[in-house]
Amino acid sequence: MNKTKHRESGKVEELLSSGKTLDRAFILPVIGLILLVTPVANIFRLETHVAGVPFAALYLFVVWGSLIGGAALLARKLRQYSSDRQSPDVNLDNSD
Amino acid sequence: MLSGDILLAVSLGYVALLFAIAFYVDRLSRRGRAKWLQSPLIFTLSISVYCTSWTFYGAVGSAARNGLEFITIYLGPTLVFIGWWWLLRKLVRIGRAHRVTSIADLISSRYGKSESLGALVTVIALIATTPYIALQLQSVTRSYQVIVGDVNVSATAFAIAAGMALFTVLFGTRNLDANERHHGVVAAIAVEAVVKLVALLAVGIFVVYGIADGVGSVFEGVDFETVYGETNIFDARWVALTFLSATAIICLPRQFQVTVVENVDENHLATASWLFPLYLFGMCLFVLPIAIAGLKFLPEGSNPDLYVLTLPLSLDRQDLALLAFLGGFSSATSMVIVAAIAVSTMVSNHIVMPLALRLVGGGPAVSGDLRRLLLISRRISIAAVLGLGFLYFQRRGGSDALAAMGLIAFAGVAQFMPGLVGGIFWRGATRTGALTGLVVGFGLWAYTLFLPSFGGEFILSKDVLDNGLFGLEALRPQSLFGMSGIDPLVHALLWSLGSNIVIFMVVSSLTNPGALERLQGALFVDIFRRADEMSERFVPGKATSEDLFVLAQRIMGREAARKLFDKAAESQGDVQGLPAPSDAFISQLERELAGSVGAASAHAMVRRVTGQESISMTDLMEIADETQRLIETHRQLSVKSDELTQTMAQLQAANDQLRDLDAQKDEFLSQVSHELRTPMTSLRSFSEILLNTENVSIEDRTKFLRIIHDESHRLTRLLDEILDISQLESGLPDDPVSEVDLDRVIEAAVDSISGVMKENRVSIKRIGLPVQRTALANEDRLRQVLINLLSNSLKYNRAENPEIHVHAHADINNVCIDVADNGGGVKRADANLVFEKFQRGEQALGEQGAGLGLPISRAIMRSMGGELRLEFTETDSSFFRIEMPQYVQ
Repeated sequence: MNKTKHRESGKVEELLSSGKTLDRAFILPVIGLILLVTPVANIFRLETHVAGVPFAALYLFVVWGSLIGGAALLARKLRQYSSDRQSPDVNLDNSD
Repeated sequence: MLSGDILLAVSLGYVALLFAIAFYVDRLSRRGRAKWLQSPLIFTLSISVYCTSWTFYGAVGSAARNGLEFITIYLGPTLVFIGWWWLLRKLVRIGRAHRVTSIADLISSRYGKSESLGALVTVIALIATTPYIALQLQSVTRSYQVIVGDVNVSATAFAIAAGMALFTVLFGTRNLDANERHHGVVAAIAVEAVVKLVALLAVGIFVVYGIADGVGSVFEGVDFETVYGETNIFDARWVALTFLSATAIICLPRQFQVTVVENVDENHLATASWLFPLYLFGMCLFVLPIAIAGLKFLPEGSNPDLYVLTLPLSLDRQDLALLAFLGGFSSATSMVIVAAIAVSTMVSNHIVMPLALRLVGGGPAVSGDLRRLLLISRRISIAAVLGLGFLYFQRRGGSDALAAMGLIAFAGVAQFMPGLVGGIFWRGATRTGALTGLVVGFGLWAYTLFLPSFGGEFILSKDVLDNGLFGLEALRPQSLFGMSGIDPLVHALLWSLGSNIVIFMVVSSLTNPGALERLQGALFVDIFRRADEMSERFVPGKATSEDLFVLAQRIMGREAARKLFDKAAESQGDVQGLPAPSDAFISQLERELAGSVGAASAHAMVRRVTGQESISMTDLMEIADETQRLIETHRQLSVKSDELTQTMAQLQAANDQLRDLDAQKDEFLSQVSHELRTPMTSLRSFSEILLNTENVSIEDRTKFLRIIHDESHRLTRLLDEILDISQLESGLPDDPVSEVDLDRVIEAAVDSISGVMKENRVSIKRIGLPVQRTALANEDRLRQVLINLLSNSLKYNRAENPEIHVHAHADINNVCIDVADNGGGVKRADANLVFEKFQRGEQALGEQGAGLGLPISRAIMRSMGGELRLEFTETDSSFFRIEMPQYVQ
């Protein structure tokens, strides 16, 4: 294997994915805002129980939980991104 | 039934444990071994100080009354944290880069280290925090009351307040850390965070699986309105509450303290971004079931705010009740401790310190340790904050007003939001904008929300509440300008925060920031773009390192100051002694001090020591102008000086010339008198002989008379010549020049000396053809010169057959007459001498002229614009050349 080539392509991918990561970091709270703090929430004010829980309550907690999960996934990427930016060369090999 | 003694013992034991943890961690961190404690987990747990007893007990109460609405208080922070990359990260970076000690410090620092803004934020924070602390005291007291039964409420509350004050003073003001971090306190709070989560989860699980039979059975038969609230889930209040909680997670002094100030590693935020929402998620998970169960199983009229305690008690689960009590106790104490630290730091840095600086002066000459003053003021502030909270609880304890205090406090601190968020994202935000926005927002908050919450018993009377200020309907606090029919909280928020934002933006756009403000604004907004050395300002190097050291050790203590200065000196390449007070070092020192006393105070103190404020832009401009003027003046001066030098040189030259002329004149006079003396002597001696001697022969007498005659003749001629030359040299008006026929002049001159020629047997030869040219000259003068030259040739010619050659010729501009003879001419060495006055050639014989002929001739020629020169042929024989301009029609 040509190590330099591998490195370079890894870097490009990293750059591309870091752009995506930033996009996601912006979109996640916006999605949260739309799902939780707009009239969208009213759509789920259904008078039924799902798994014994009132539907809207379940909806809120599920959205909430998903946001937390998304944030957890993003946090890893973002941390990597910010440490890459602080020392551009240190983390090149850590990516795999 | 749990006895009061057991409860007290457990509580005290728990407190002792917290003390031990705080003490142990403090010791570890001082030895630098607390690294493992500075983990993202501890950081996240410390942020959970957000969940106070208002959450622990109050969330269930809120859920019992309004259903799902309670969740908004946790959704706001969740959204802020999952969006950490955009706001929190920037806040933390700024906080770390600028050693921010509190939210007041950040805001004051952003707006040009404004003391007034810092003080205002502190006052608002204090006003909003005090009832909140009272609320915690009430929760703990009530929970104690519920378990033990009849207790002395005041004494209990006082004991709790005093205990918390003690703890806070011990671990919150142990030292003045440069970064205002408190590892021991943070560790204790992390433990408390675990306790309260575990307690709430335990009670929740007990309720769902102990009392009820799973989640389904809890919600069985429950009205949907109880869960969903009466109308829609999403409404104005829902938005307002989410928004409020989102701002509170940043703007509450205690949240700012744990999130920004206590942060040791920016990467911890990444973990907290999901772990803290997860914590909140866990706290909320069983809130609704507990509330529903409370409504279902507890007797009508039970206080929903205490369901967490009363549910286990109702089934005689004392162990669980004790755990729940500890959970509530933990929530209350952690909030009070952190809030007290945060607010006391603000009070000491932004109110006590500036006042102290004003009153006693901040110069290093004043004796006494500022560090001590700071610590003491901070301890007193902590006691005062808790004391105020206790007094507030004493007066208003048990009232509904207190229960509503949580949201009211949120709305109060939300007033910081425009200045804070605007300040770190918008360069154009100005101090005046932030200040006016804050003042107006705070005023409206107090008028529409805070004061009305007292129900007409504090400042605003019931009459004002019902009928408006001065009886004006439009000024009714809870429906300002006729805006009625909406939730009072939403109403207050719209008015206060709305006006705050609008005024902040409008005033900011209308005012100009000062230079320091502009600089700080740029540093804050572009925190990710710029390295922090950018914040090094121009501080004129007036300070001595000694002054700075004295200042630093007063604040940081001797050891820390010594370390800092040694390090700085080392980095400056100086192993020993104090570092040079360079701009970079002064800026660094200011930042370090800012970590202890806040940016505004640190700036003020360093300014005092350095003797000057950071140069403002205006100052810079003025200095630049001044410099420009100086440069211009200097330039003009040097031009003048050059001119003077030139004039001097000219004067010098003129002077030299004058001296020369003077010397020439003296010489001339002495020569003239010498020349006159010779004939006068012979005149006198011969006339004396004639007078005194009787027997003089006729012959002799005739001879003597002839000599006398000749001499007087010569004397006359000499005097004529002297007059002539002085007239020519003094530059009297030139003789008029006109067209002169060259041939005719030569002929006339030759004619006039023809008598002498015959006598001396000299022949004159005209060489070349008549030129038939006309010159521009004065004919008489020209003839005089020509005669002079010819007679010279006659006089000095000692050849066998003397010959004189006259040669007239012309070129384009000039006409020339050359006069040469075969009498030997002038030697080259004498070429310059012949035109000197009273000089005669070596070959001069017999009766001679006074030696003025040639100088006079040359002067005449020059006065006519011509020239008389002595020229040499290739064979070294000399001739005279008269040169004059050709006559042009």
